[in-house]
Amino acid sequence: MDMSRVWPIVCQYGIGAILCFIGIWYGLRGGYLNLRLAKDRRLMVTLIAGYLLMLALVCVFTFVAPFWPNGDRP
Amino acid sequence: MTAMAIGTALDYAVILSYFVAILGFGLYFGRYTASTKDYFFGGQRFSWWLIAFSCIATVVGSYSFIKYSAAGFTYGISSTQSYLNDWFWMPILVIIWIPIVYYRRIQSIPEYMEARFDKKTRIAATFIILLYIIGYVGINLITLGRTLHTLLGWNTMTGATVTAVAVALYVYVGGQTAIIMTDLAQGIILLLAGLGLFAAGIYHFGGFEGFWSLLPQSHKYAFSEFNHPPNFSFIGIYVQDGLANTGALMLMHQGFIMRFLSLKSVTESRRMVVCWILVLAPLAAIATSCGGWIAKALVANGELETGAQDAFVKAAHFLCAPGVFGFVLAALTAALMSTTDSLINAVSAIFVNDIWRPYIRPDRSDKHYLLTARITSLCAAALGLALVPIFMKDTIYGAHGMFTAAVTPPVLVAIFLGILWKRYTPTAGFVTITGGAILIGLSFIWPDALVGPFNMGMGPDAYKFMRALFGLLASGVLGVVVTLFTKPKAATALVGLVGGTQIDAMRQFKGGEPNRRPGKKVRVRVCVDETLAGQNVVRVSRQALERMAAEPGDLLYANDARWWYGGLRSVHVKAGTPHNVDESEMRISPEDATTAKFTPGQTIVLEKTM
Repeated sequence: MDMSRVWPIVCQYGIGAILCFIGIWYGLRGGYLNLRLAKDRRLMVTLIAGYLLMLALVCVFTFVAPFWPNGDRP
Repeated sequence: MTAMAIGTALDYAVILSYFVAILGFGLYFGRYTASTKDYFFGGQRFSWWLIAFSCIATVVGSYSFIKYSAAGFTYGISSTQSYLNDWFWMPILVIIWIPIVYYRRIQSIPEYMEARFDKKTRIAATFIILLYIIGYVGINLITLGRTLHTLLGWNTMTGATVTAVAVALYVYVGGQTAIIMTDLAQGIILLLAGLGLFAAGIYHFGGFEGFWSLLPQSHKYAFSEFNHPPNFSFIGIYVQDGLANTGALMLMHQGFIMRFLSLKSVTESRRMVVCWILVLAPLAAIATSCGGWIAKALVANGELETGAQDAFVKAAHFLCAPGVFGFVLAALTAALMSTTDSLINAVSAIFVNDIWRPYIRPDRSDKHYLLTARITSLCAAALGLALVPIFMKDTIYGAHGMFTAAVTPPVLVAIFLGILWKRYTPTAGFVTITGGAILIGLSFIWPDALVGPFNMGMGPDAYKFMRALFGLLASGVLGVVVTLFTKPKAATALVGLVGGTQIDAMRQFKGGEPNRRPGKKVRVRVCVDETLAGQNVVRVSRQALERMAAEPGDLLYANDARWWYGGLRSVHVKAGTPHNVDESEMRISPEDATTAKFTPGQTIVLEKTM
């Protein structure tokens, strides 16, 4: 595995997870983010889904798409 | 080859029509501006989708199509990485920062600096941010002049002047409302043009597979390599763009703060950010970069000869019919104007809120400040224009780049620590901003000694990127060390200004306990009630209050039932005591009905905000 292509994912999504955690933690701590409210639960789900969606996208374009066969072209 | 040589009269007619239409569009919305709240924050009434488009139109700057297409041509789809690293700031933005600025009624970054730290920090921030934004107006105008020179053959100064006059006129008349509405049009145009170009390219190659197969394998990765090449490595772009620039965009960009405050409610910011970052930003990434990818594929197919800098224009010209090419060029102009207008309005907001109102002419009427704001907008455009000949000298242009690189990380770190760390002291805030800027300034004199240790093995070519990492770390260390030896503000003085106290900020905003019970929107008929004159109150039936889960005294938002107005015809009101007349009737004061442009008998949507 070419680690020069893997480290960017680890770095961006690792630091990104810390930033996300900070935001969510400061929401929960003061009660502003109240998981008993449906709209706040939706926000949590959106945050996690967005993170995973972006992660999936870069994984596809790192581990899969570059190796799609070129068809009949050189 | 330039567009002047290849464009047709029809193309130029399309661009001219675009200019006239945008100017007319912006001037039309001037009638919605009657106060400084309208002028700076659009009356805090807009829907999420309008602000999302406005944000993306501002993010896609004057240089984006040319710059990202050039990167796409040289490096492939990793040119999109700058647009795809914003999501991680979203929790801090929507859960901490927007609630703080919205509920504490913070109108500018310097104002937050005084509330959170002290007056001297506010003065330092005002000075730094004004220099930064006015410089940016100049940079945008010169970029714009140069682009129009390339595209139309106009003199750089002529192009900059024409656009500055157009933008200044609609900002003068319509303020934030005109900016948001023109940004909607400009955002749609630039996305349509960019994505249309991509679709045309895919069609030309007989499908995605045909296009994909023509790209070299090195062009097919989402990220560039971790620390290679030095001027386009992942780590360089990540620290400079993903951390410093995106953080600055979210937390310290006055233009964006004003957009966030234009939303009808804080809850609306959640949908806005999702639409902006998760939907529109990836589309914008494709729209701005695809010219380079398509040009690369055309070159590989032997159909085109071009270099990276001309990739966008040449690919567009190759694929587009006359007239359509003009539309693509209009998109370029849209990107230019939609960034400049928000910067001009931001200068006006900071000048009025942080200099004129507190120090020069306090305690004047709102009408006086509105006029001052309008005149300041004209002056900001004129000042930016005056910088164009100066910025033509590359040393000055470079100096502004250095200035921006020097001040962005310290102000960002001061806000970041300010909202997250109660112990962070006013002295530390001031030292972070000034000391951090000085340290980064010194890094231009001794780059090897200061930035060298952070270059990740990439050498001096990476200094301009890695300086952001040095700046963030140096400012952060300064802030933490000074905090440990100085006295913090009392916890009571920080209520609503730091993370964890957002609920307190809500209480201050409402003047009472916030009502967060989930309720529904109700449709009611407008009945203008003269007895409510002078009161910002509406009276509805008890059944309507129950459906909204609202009580008398709660904050409500009354909006035209036609969603496509996006909040343009709306007003914030308080719930009064319920009436017992007609379940579907809403009684409203004549003033509020006029503000929202409601007519008697009209059906509107009413919802509780807090």
